[in-house]
Amino acid sequence: MMGEVLIKTENLGISFGAHKAVSNMNLELEEKVFTTILGPNGAGKTTLFNLISGLLKPTEGKIYFKGTDITCLSPVERVKMGMGRSFQLTNVFPNLTVYENVRLAVQSKENIGYRIFVDHRNYTSINQKADELLEKVLLSDKKSFIASKLSHTEQRKLELGMVLALEPEALLLDEPTAGMAIEEVPTMIEILAKIKKTGTTVILIEHKMDMVKALSDKLIIIVNGMKLIEGEPEAVSKHPEVLKAYLGGGVIDGINT
Amino acid sequence: MKSLREHIQRDFSKNVIIALSVLLIALLIFPKFSSYTMLNLLTRIFVISVFAMSYDILRGYMGFINLGHAVYFGGGAYVAGILYNKLGTTIPVFILSIAVVVLYSVICALVMGKLSFKKGTSVFAAAMLTLALAEVVRNIAESWRDVTNGTDGLIFKVPSILSNRIFFYYFSLIFLIVMFIILRKFILSPTGRVIIAIRENEQRAEFLGFRIENYKLIAILVSGVSAGLAGLVFGTFNRFANTELLSITYSTNALLYTLIGGTGTLYGGIVGSIVVNVFQNMLLNLRSIHPIFERWLIFLGILYIAVILFMPKGIVGTLRHFIENRKVKSDNEKSSKTEKAPGE
Repeated sequence: MMGEVLIKTENLGISFGAHKAVSNMNLELEEKVFTTILGPNGAGKTTLFNLISGLLKPTEGKIYFKGTDITCLSPVERVKMGMGRSFQLTNVFPNLTVYENVRLAVQSKENIGYRIFVDHRNYTSINQKADELLEKVLLSDKKSFIASKLSHTEQRKLELGMVLALEPEALLLDEPTAGMAIEEVPTMIEILAKIKKTGTTVILIEHKMDMVKALSDKLIIIVNGMKLIEGEPEAVSKHPEVLKAYLGGGVIDGINT
Repeated sequence: MKSLREHIQRDFSKNVIIALSVLLIALLIFPKFSSYTMLNLLTRIFVISVFAMSYDILRGYMGFINLGHAVYFGGGAYVAGILYNKLGTTIPVFILSIAVVVLYSVICALVMGKLSFKKGTSVFAAAMLTLALAEVVRNIAESWRDVTNGTDGLIFKVPSILSNRIFFYYFSLIFLIVMFIILRKFILSPTGRVIIAIRENEQRAEFLGFRIENYKLIAILVSGVSAGLAGLVFGTFNRFANTELLSITYSTNALLYTLIGGTGTLYGGIVGSIVVNVFQNMLLNLRSIHPIFERWLIFLGILYIAVILFMPKGIVGTLRHFIENRKVKSDNEKSSKTEKAPGE
């Protein structure tokens, strides 16, 4: 099951003043492995994502993507190399239609350059792909809706569709189920399972373990900005230190279900 | 390749095409029946509309407040004047001035863009930067007396055909139509779409892999060159350029045209320019009735405040909102009728 290492971090760390949000992070995320990063609130999961995706510059350590040192590359360059990410707080183009949101993402992937006198509606292959993606994330019937008029869950799906449009080799998803009503979660899990089947490398942040245990090939537990343990889901979830960390951190939701 | 007809039909409904055709015919025969004063007012509106539309590219589509937009407009007028004065009033000089204005606007846009679109610069800091740059250019124009004639303003002659008011009316109308088509094409292009995306959510656009700085630079180039050309035509029309054309007054005028007309529509700029210029003209005519209209700026100010208070989306935006609401309502009525039908 272990493939090539896709993303690697070496002693990665960042401090905000005296506060070390992430420190000494050594990760090896393999290709085609569904990795879930778990940890209590404030453990540094999102900060880790921000470092990997280039939103934040690390104060120490290095990040490698497909064997290349990307520590100093801009977010755009990382996207072009095949890294796509979603955000914890929904991040779409609020006043554009659902279709236009996805179409823009496809346009970026297709790399058509800075054309200024061709009508964007004339690119049939882009339009087709946008339609396909909307189907994939179950939003075809909402195509002409303004994104901000969608429900929270639908917006999350939309953002996922946009990231999928980039056809990333590494897909970083920051709590795609955050803020969703419990009965809406299964459709999201279903979409995630579909993505997993296509062979995309998914790295997921969650703080409820039960939701992703079945889906994940590997769990990494982060506490206080440091890696606590990593391994197969079954083994990790039964590890005494994990139980302690979660219970000690006051987050008990889902750990023992 | 689709035919022109299909293109037009895709973008405009039948009613709009008919309305626009009627308007165009009316404008074409207008000089036959009109006084020179009205003709000049309309010519002015056509040219100012292009300036307003160019501003809308930045403010309405990209969400950027440029307080130095007059640099392009005033610069265009000055370039025309200086070239006519130095090289003579011939048509080749006019054509040369177009090329020089484009070059001038590109340079200004590159400097302005590179400085104010730096990553991490806040919207306000960027707006202040554009204002400062415009002031630098205005000061140069003021002190470089040999070329610009300083604060007295530059008076110049233009090629004789361009000083014909009726010819210039048609020329400006065509200029407006051509610039409208070009700017609309730009907004509908893939690049234009990304510029809208930047207004909506810059971070998301970046994380979709768009190089934000490049797109912003393209937008200010297109906007700046359009404004520069508008300034060139405006200068040629007035046969006069002064430093006021380079001042913040003209930048904020552009802002107000788009505010009143409605941002992010292109039409808004045209509507705003019509409303402000016609209103201004009316107030000036009222001066003979009552001396209070000597202070016509007060009334213009009241108009601005009223529009911002009661129509924050501008005239076009409010109208659009109204039409869409009516459409939704009539759609709902229709669907409720069809739902009822089987039961009847």
